[in-house]
Formats: sequence, C-alpha cells, structure tokens
Amino acid sequence: MVIIIALVIGVLCSSLIVAGYYYRLQYQKMQRYQLLQRNAGSAVNLLLAGQDSTYTHPETFSLFHLDQDSVCVQTIPWGIYTIGVAKALIQRDTLYRIFAMAQAVDSSKWAAIYQADSARPLALSGNTSITGDVFISPAGVNQAYVNNQAYTGDKVLIKGKIHASEKTLPALMAGPMAALQSFMQQDRGNISGGFKSDSIQHSFLLPSLIFNFGHAIATLSDIKLSGNIILFSDTALTIDSTAVLRNVIVIARSITVHSGFHGNCQLFAQDTIGIQGNCRFGYPSCAAVLRFNKSGIVKTPAKVGLNKNTVFAGSVFVYEAEQSALKPVVHIGRQVKVSGQVYSPGYVELEDHAEIAGSVFTRGFLYQSSFTRYENYLINVTVSSKALSPYYLTPGLFPVAQKKHKVLQWLEAN
Amino acid sequence: MAGGKLRIGRKARASTIIEVLVSMIIIMVVFGVAMMIFANVTRSGGSELKVRSAAVLHEVLLEDEKAAEVSARTFNLDSLRIEQQVKNYNGDGSLQEVDLAAYDPNGQKTAEAHQIIPGK
Repeated sequence: MVIIIALVIGVLCSSLIVAGYYYRLQYQKMQRYQLLQRNAGSAVNLLLAGQDSTYTHPETFSLFHLDQDSVCVQTIPWGIYTIGVAKALIQRDTLYRIFAMAQAVDSSKWAAIYQADSARPLALSGNTSITGDVFISPAGVNQAYVNNQAYTGDKVLIKGKIHASEKTLPALMAGPMAALQSFMQQDRGNISGGFKSDSIQHSFLLPSLIFNFGHAIATLSDIKLSGNIILFSDTALTIDSTAVLRNVIVIARSITVHSGFHGNCQLFAQDTIGIQGNCRFGYPSCAAVLRFNKSGIVKTPAKVGLNKNTVFAGSVFVYEAEQSALKPVVHIGRQVKVSGQVYSPGYVELEDHAEIAGSVFTRGFLYQSSFTRYENYLINVTVSSKALSPYYLTPGLFPVAQKKHKVLQWLEAN
Repeated sequence: MAGGKLRIGRKARASTIIEVLVSMIIIMVVFGVAMMIFANVTRSGGSELKVRSAAVLHEVLLEDEKAAEVSARTFNLDSLRIEQQVKNYNGDGSLQEVDLAAYDPNGQKTAEAHQIIPGK
C-alpha cells in the first residue's frame, strides 16, 4: 500500500515536472517566435528601403551582429512588380514573408488625364465628367456638340487644376523597362507537354514554374493556377472563363481572354490583347502590349481591348521602343471600368459610359460612332483620379512613381 | 500496512521496513528532481516579469514603427525602465536601428529587443 501511495505521489510529481518542462518549452518557443517575427519585419523593411536590383540573389547576413538575428533576403522581378522574400532564421526555425512591392504615387506628377500637346483643344460632349488635375494642350478644353449630343455634364468642365502638357508623353522609366525586357526574354525552357493537374499552386520560395506552349495555339480552360507560374507562348494564347489565374504571368504574341473570366494576373503580348465582355480582373492586374524590337516591320498596331462591362483593376499600357507609323490603341469599351492607370503612346479609345478611376496618359483620345471617328473628343465618359483608392500603389515603370517602395500584396507567410 | 484492531494472538498486517525504505527513496528522488526542475524553470524560464518586459518592448517597437519621429529616450512604463537607442542603420537614413532594453526596479535587465524600421 505504501508503495502504491508513493507511486501516486511520484506520478503527481512527474506531472508537475512535465507541466514545468512544457511551460518552459512553450515560453522559449514564444520568445523565439517573437524574435523571428521582429527579424522578419526588419528584413521586410530592408527590402522596402532597397532598390529593386539590390538583392537579386539570396543574401544571408546578421542584422545586428548578435546571436539569433540571421536573415535571408531576395528580390524577384515579377512582371511590372517586384516580389520580396524575407526569411528570419534561428537554428532550424525559419519564418518567411513573401510580398509584392510597388511604389506610392507622386502627387505632383499624378493626373486624371495627361494628353500630350497636339495644339488642339480637348472637346467634351454628352454626360462627361473629369475630376482631378489634368495636363492638356494649352489650347484648353471646350464643350462640343457631337454625334447629335450636346455637353450635359457639370458646368465646371474639369474639377481640378489644368496644366499645360508637353509635346511628348512622360516616358516610361528606363530602368524598370529594361528589367521588364530581360524578364520577358528569360530562358523559357523546353516545350511543355501540358498541365499534370487541374490545380497548381507554386510557391515563390521555389524557382518559377514555366509552361512553354511554343508555336502551338493553346487554350487555358478548366485549370486553376496560382503563384510563381509563368506561361509562355510564341503565338496566340486563349484564356477561357473556366480558367482561374492568381498572380500568374502570361507572355504570348497575342492573348484573348474569354467573356466571364475572373482572376488577377499579368498579361504581356507583342501584338494584341483582347479581353472580352464581363471579365473581372482583380488588383493588381496588368495588360500590356510590349514591343522592344526597334527594327521590326509592324503590320498591325499594338492594341489592348477591354470590352463591354469588364472591370479591370491595375495597369493597362502599351510600350514601343520605337514609334511605329501605326499608332497603338487602348480600347476601353462600353461600361468598362478601369481602376488604375492607362498609358498609351498612341490613342485611347473610349466608348460610351466607360469609366477610368485613376489616370490616363495618352497622345490622343478617339471616339468611334457608327459612321465617324472623332479625335480628341471625350463623349459620355467618366475620368476621376479621386475615385481611386488612396492606398493604390503604382508599378515603378510609370512616370508618376515615387522612389519609396511599399507592400502591395502579402503573398505567402508562415 | 496496519489495519483493524490489534488483537492478541493474531498477526497484524503491516509493511516491511524494505517497503517503507523503497517508498521513501522513491518519494525523495522524485520530489528532489521535481524541485530541481521547478527551480530551474522559475530561474531561467519565463518569469512573470520577463514575460511582461518582452510584451512591453514589443508594444514600444510597434509604436515606434508607426511614429512620425523616433529618438533616443529613457522612460518608465508598467513599473519598468525602458532605454531606447536609435541608430542610422544603412548610412543613407532610409533605415533606423532601434535598440530597446527593459530594467526592473532593482536595475536588472529583464529583456531587450532590436528592430530595423523605416527612416523617419
């Protein structure tokens, strides 16, 4: 009986020992986790303070030259954005934060409309509303009776300051464009056989997963792709509404997005991007036609088209290393809403009830009626720089970007 | 073990001396080990003061990151004396290193924390 009581007391004492040990283990774990969190936060701040090219390769170092303060940082170019990878390491424990970076908008350069000076006034007709500062030709802005419509908007034609624009558009930033060019021309690997699964999620901790369709005309359908994935095509690529893309990059000669698509991705084409109606592109998305070759004979103008009822949050732009005779066009269809930035060194064609919440930089505006094409007319459209979220961040390649980086989107963490 | 009334002519049930010794040794060993671990935990583990100090420093760092300006200072918070040092981290002023140390009323350091924050 004595032995039994002794054993009971022993068990109780053992329980106390285990409880104490477990408490201590948890305390140390919590302390280590807090330290890792602080170091990871420091690493994130380091990445945000650096330039895009500062940590192109993973660099591991001690933050304060103390014990337990090692971090590993890296930046990865990801289309028009940059991905930051911050890891804090203590022995075998690792805490990582992966995020997309972009830059705040420089308010002195920001404008609802920047139209290069063509020595002609900007004409407004129908129920057109322009809110925010504008840079337009010194010829100014006036009302017009066009296509059987008088101007019916606010008495104040432009609710913001009017500045004189230059004869040329502010150029896209050379450094980020060069980085984008090298990103586009990276090794595409071998031609891929296709997707092994209908849902692929790939971490930014790993090398990019590349699918190269080569010269085969491909259609993405019934597939869910997310993360560090790049799709290449040397010809036309179609994205069906059944495909779901999250943070993925698509690079092709021409891209067509079928009606009803939902997702957020970056689309880069050499010739055209056609986005059919009722599509929803979440922030941050991008649709860009890029022509880096200077001596190519171009048969078709570069064109990005957003069709009826599409909602696009992000950047729509065209880049040509050398101006071609056929001016590029960004077509924004009826009842399309773009929240972000539109940049065209050629024309921006706006249909009735198109809305731009953000800014549009262009050489000129087009309006196509049933019979006539009008240049420099805005008819039944809304452009408002103030309708854009104050937290909106711009890619560094636009001429309105501040130097300071901010976190655009948290992608992965543990 | 003894039990019931002691009657003459009958054997009383009881533990042997060996049983008692074994049980006492087990109790002593287990209790000794338990006390050692308990003392170790209370000494080197998270005493309430250390836990509180770490939490206070964590809060101060969060406030520093949001603050418009961060400078070296010493202040009392939650019965702790906090010493804050601020250094330029990378030379160009875009980053600052904040070093914090918490001391108890006896002047013993209870926690320290370091973080890099954006330059103000």
